[in-house]
Amino acid sequence: MMCAWQQLLNILPGWLSGEVDMHEKKKLQEIRLRLGALPELKTACGSIWLNRSVSSEDLSFVVNAASRYSPWTAATVAQGFLTAAGGHRIGLCGDTVIKNGSVDGIRQIHSLCIRVARDYPGIGTAIGGFRGSILILGPPGSGKTTLLRDVLRIISATQTVCVVDERGELFPESFTRGKRMDVLKGSPKAEGIDMVLRSMGPECIGVDEITSEQDCEGLIRAGWCGVRLIATAHASSLADLKTRPVYRKLYLCNLFDHIVVLNRDKSWHEERMVV
Amino acid sequence: MTGKIIGAMLIIGGCGAFGYAIAASYRKEAAALRQLISALDFMQCELQYRLTPLPDLCAMAGREQKGIVGRFLKELSLELENQISPNVSCCVSAVLAKSDRIPGRLLKALELLGASLGRFDAEGQLKGLEHVRSFCREEVDKLADQQDVRLRSYQTLGLCAGAALAILFV
Repeated sequence: MMCAWQQLLNILPGWLSGEVDMHEKKKLQEIRLRLGALPELKTACGSIWLNRSVSSEDLSFVVNAASRYSPWTAATVAQGFLTAAGGHRIGLCGDTVIKNGSVDGIRQIHSLCIRVARDYPGIGTAIGGFRGSILILGPPGSGKTTLLRDVLRIISATQTVCVVDERGELFPESFTRGKRMDVLKGSPKAEGIDMVLRSMGPECIGVDEITSEQDCEGLIRAGWCGVRLIATAHASSLADLKTRPVYRKLYLCNLFDHIVVLNRDKSWHEERMVV
Repeated sequence: MTGKIIGAMLIIGGCGAFGYAIAASYRKEAAALRQLISALDFMQCELQYRLTPLPDLCAMAGREQKGIVGRFLKELSLELENQISPNVSCCVSAVLAKSDRIPGRLLKALELLGASLGRFDAEGQLKGLEHVRSFCREEVDKLADQQDVRLRSYQTLGLCAGAALAILFV
């Protein structure tokens, strides 16, 4: 297991990083900070509550440190998250700023959810051996990104893989990349897929968390060009995916040869896509 | 007699040197402000084109400049990388506290820079840098205003003060 532990500690205020460091890095899954409340450390065995309340300065420290004191690099705040060095994703909640009817940023942050990024080389061996396109489904926290990372690395041993890493959490600097892997970081998925398709000659394209119709359309365009696709989406089963209007086109195009469904207990099973 | 001449020469020399030192410090301050303007120009271009994160931006601008401004920017970059302070203003204060002999006008400009960095989006940050640059330009203009006459006066005053003391005491 690999984890950019020091980079996680660096984005926490001094008093909190010391407390967090005392807990085993293998067990820690999430750190939840809520303004005026006690910090919650979520581990595989349950929650641990620390005994000092979180102040607004603590929340600002985390956001400033994660964005390296550069708000202009944190355009994703408008989407409610930030990715810190080491691939740790920070979810943000608070008072939003609305411009032209859509969220433009967060004025006052009230809660943070820091998800500890981990890399488990070897967990995707079985799925990495599949032929054709693979769609990994699972609820939040089931390990879709972790599995996708290893599957892409395994595939890149034999094929040219282009990864469109919109959130910058698939392959941060501290995680090993694959042998024939090119990573386009920070670009929106649909645009990124078109970019790599035009310029990088990929045999396989990997994207994490398809969430919009534009993402699906980008994947369809790439799929029709004969490129292998490896992607993840939020859904608890194939039946759940079918009910979502946003995935309808993707489903009807029958692009994926394998649907892998992950469960919260980290087990998985394969389902067949029949249109 | 020789002793008196040597004494008089030392007093005149000392006072003259003091006058020259004041004149030199003004020249240095103007040069440092010009360096800061040049660093701000670089930061504006870099930010506009590549949206470079602040620690990298400061390190790059620091490498471009020599002297007091270059040193300050390099140290600020390290301070930002260390991620100990809650915001940029605190990082700037920490670096300024460690640095000594920063001329008054430059110190004011650097504090102004600290107050504007890392608080806004790219557009706001560019305006913040422009504001600091305007301040520096005004200060350079003030220093340049009749600079030669004023500096020559300091040097002359030093020499004259020395001569006066020599006449009085030797």
